[in-house]
Amino acid sequence: MTPRLSPPGKRRSSSVPPVRVERLPNGLTVLLREMRAIPVVSVWCWYRVGSRDERPGVTGISHWVEHMNFKGSRSIPKSEVTRRVELAGGVWNGYTWLDVTTYFETVSSDALDAMLRLEASRMTECLYSKQEVERERSVVISEMRGGENDPRSYLEREVSGTALQAHPYRWPTIGYLSDLQAITREDLYAHYRRYYVPNNAVLVLAGDFETRAAMRLVKRHYGRIARGAEPPPVRTVEPPQSGERRVLLRRPSGASYLQVAFPAPALTDGDFPALLVLDGILGGGPSINAWAGGRGAGPSKSARLYRALVEADLATEADTQIIPTRFPYLYRIQATAKAGVDPERIERAVYAEIGRLAGGSVEAKDLERARNQFLARYALESESVTDAAHQLGFFETVATHRDYLALPARVRAVTAGQVARLAAERLSERTRTVGVLVPDAAGAGGA
Amino acid sequence: MTRRQELDNGLVVVARPNRAARSIAARLVFEAGAAFDPPGKAGTSSLVARLLDRGGGGLSAEAIAEGFERLGVSYVARAQGDTLDVEVRLLAEHLPEVLRRLRPVVAEPAFPEEEVRREVGQTLSALAEREQDTGAVAEDALAAALFPPGHPYREPAVGTRASVPRIGAADLAAFHRERVGPSGSILALAGDIDPDRAIALAADHFGDWTTGRGATGRATIPDPPMPEREVTLVRRVEGKTQADLVLGMLPGLRRNSPDLPAALVLNNALGEFSMGGRLGAAIRDREGLAYYVYSTFEAGLGAGPLAVRAGVAPDAVRRALDLIRRTLEAVRRRGLKPSEIRDSKQSLAASVPRRLETNPGAARTLADCEFYGLGLDYPERLPSLIRAVERDQVAAAAHRYLTLGRHALVVAGPALKEALR
Repeated sequence: MTPRLSPPGKRRSSSVPPVRVERLPNGLTVLLREMRAIPVVSVWCWYRVGSRDERPGVTGISHWVEHMNFKGSRSIPKSEVTRRVELAGGVWNGYTWLDVTTYFETVSSDALDAMLRLEASRMTECLYSKQEVERERSVVISEMRGGENDPRSYLEREVSGTALQAHPYRWPTIGYLSDLQAITREDLYAHYRRYYVPNNAVLVLAGDFETRAAMRLVKRHYGRIARGAEPPPVRTVEPPQSGERRVLLRRPSGASYLQVAFPAPALTDGDFPALLVLDGILGGGPSINAWAGGRGAGPSKSARLYRALVEADLATEADTQIIPTRFPYLYRIQATAKAGVDPERIERAVYAEIGRLAGGSVEAKDLERARNQFLARYALESESVTDAAHQLGFFETVATHRDYLALPARVRAVTAGQVARLAAERLSERTRTVGVLVPDAAGAGGA
Repeated sequence: MTRRQELDNGLVVVARPNRAARSIAARLVFEAGAAFDPPGKAGTSSLVARLLDRGGGGLSAEAIAEGFERLGVSYVARAQGDTLDVEVRLLAEHLPEVLRRLRPVVAEPAFPEEEVRREVGQTLSALAEREQDTGAVAEDALAAALFPPGHPYREPAVGTRASVPRIGAADLAAFHRERVGPSGSILALAGDIDPDRAIALAADHFGDWTTGRGATGRATIPDPPMPEREVTLVRRVEGKTQADLVLGMLPGLRRNSPDLPAALVLNNALGEFSMGGRLGAAIRDREGLAYYVYSTFEAGLGAGPLAVRAGVAPDAVRRALDLIRRTLEAVRRRGLKPSEIRDSKQSLAASVPRRLETNPGAARTLADCEFYGLGLDYPERLPSLIRAVERDQVAAAAHRYLTLGRHALVVAGPALKEALR
């Protein structure tokens, strides 16, 4: 029997809450989704700024600015920024990535007004005292070093910087140590003022509120903020690659690691849904919630890579990565070698699987499984108010939230032929970048 | 609105509706965690969890995976300290089929020899990786310092290089037979369900499960002895840029300790509230020494230590440790300020409803309440228990749990001997 999945929205279309889109005269985009089952509201404020907006010398500055924006403002003292959220039983956080910087609070719904006040203040009047900048410099460096304790972070950085030679997606969001040591208070403040303007921001509310009343609060807190100059665009386009690139790293490590990266289509590219399906067949399908997705999930054991690498006893782990991005980025395949297995054997097995895809091995049941996994995950990863607001805001910041809402229909329309063509054209030897990390003499190489 | 029913075979089914959802999270919990690994065979529970879906009930591993994944179901099984947990997430319309497919996975795993050999080999590879992970190295050393040989909480759940090769298919089958059965186990469901129907479905698919002994009454985990004096361990791990440190204190807390609400308030003010409580203020906020510093209680069937964790640069270890000690000492000697206690009580009490916001969170919380005998109304009762905590109770908790001077401290990272001198 072939199982049938009803698409999100079809089974009980009336229960899928609509998204209301508003634009204030100052350019602020506001998305509202009423979800009134429990008395909780999630507020996310997004900015179209990330590591893509940096240049050598100030790499990591977007992320450091995010840290500084928890350090108090002219109207909200530092001690109050997170305290107010937690007293409302809330959870808060923020993150910075390739295309986005965001802040959120999920709180009891009676605290909505206080959260909007907090976020509006964060947009315009954070303090950036010299002393706080210096304290945060060492915190950010500590964050970077903590990440570097995982040897795979070196591999990811080298592969990104090799696969991308020109586009600013090539450096790590955390930044380079030399830049983190050199960035000044003035650099940080200028970056903050350039990008934190309402016409470069998206405010998302999901949860227990009445839309018109919520919009009144939004206008009260954000309405008087002046529009700013449009932030500078990202101009560099990555030139095409015309041959395999390879990097070999030696570091103390308990295992060998392989990472293969291919140029991936941007979110709005017509090939993006086919990549989601291809990845479903190869890797078990991506999470498309960059914040909470995949948390607590196990590996997909019917995925071809799992069978070819883990079941075949070559690797202890195999996974893939797709990130919905504004500009073309990377599709990654990663594996941890089982002790005693030469990463080259894993590499060959990966290419064999890609060759099978390109050779037209995709059957109806593969497509069906990949689509069903995607559609289930799409639903599961947007159910809570926090996840629903995240998804609308993330996609609106990268492209538009309509691109997110359209994904299920676009994924359902993907054919086996498209998957084969994508594998042949995009996952080719000419465009791949291969990174291998092997334990060096000082490290324990595994049993 | 949460319904509970114990089936004739002893399996307790708990169901909570969430009409805002299209999905369901279901969680099966067995008293079969790493604490119950046979002597000398640490890692047994973890291997059982990893092999449940690798063939059984007449189905191959491939057929089991395909059966879940063609419906878009996510499946994961893990060994925790006290429990072995199996969690599935699914669209609501698939519940009957998913329960039908889950039954042979948990009740009739075959533990095929070849799968066991492969999984043992992969676990050994993972252990080699773990030896290079400063956080894991610190945790393992802390457990070994606080819990004596033979104690259920001493060995890591994943096992050790010595124990894992000793485990064979017969060990896994025996562990499964003795500990993974319906009696004393829990099936918690949350999401787009009618609770009565969910219980009926559970009874249909699990009601006639009688193999596997399961637990009869919760196990007793002995209290570890207090260390006579403080223990400091340095574990050198090459090629790292940051040190992970963990400081653990006994007697530790059990999930059913009567002073748990006061202990939670203490811990929140010490190392959670806002940006890591007092510890965060002293170490991250005022001195910028660490990206993360926080404290936790690992309360289970047995007492788990109050632990402080931080990641710091090797040259800042001394300073960070000094600040951690001073903070712990100040809280133990002078207690917390009334405003700190007020904030922590308010924050903890107000955050309880959020635990039930997502289906996986609700299923986990309900299974937890049932497993530890707290009652399904615990999420409703806990806020008022927290609000009722008095200042002197927090002071008593500080005195009891902050046992600086008889703690164990582990620092794992590069070239630390010099840094600690």
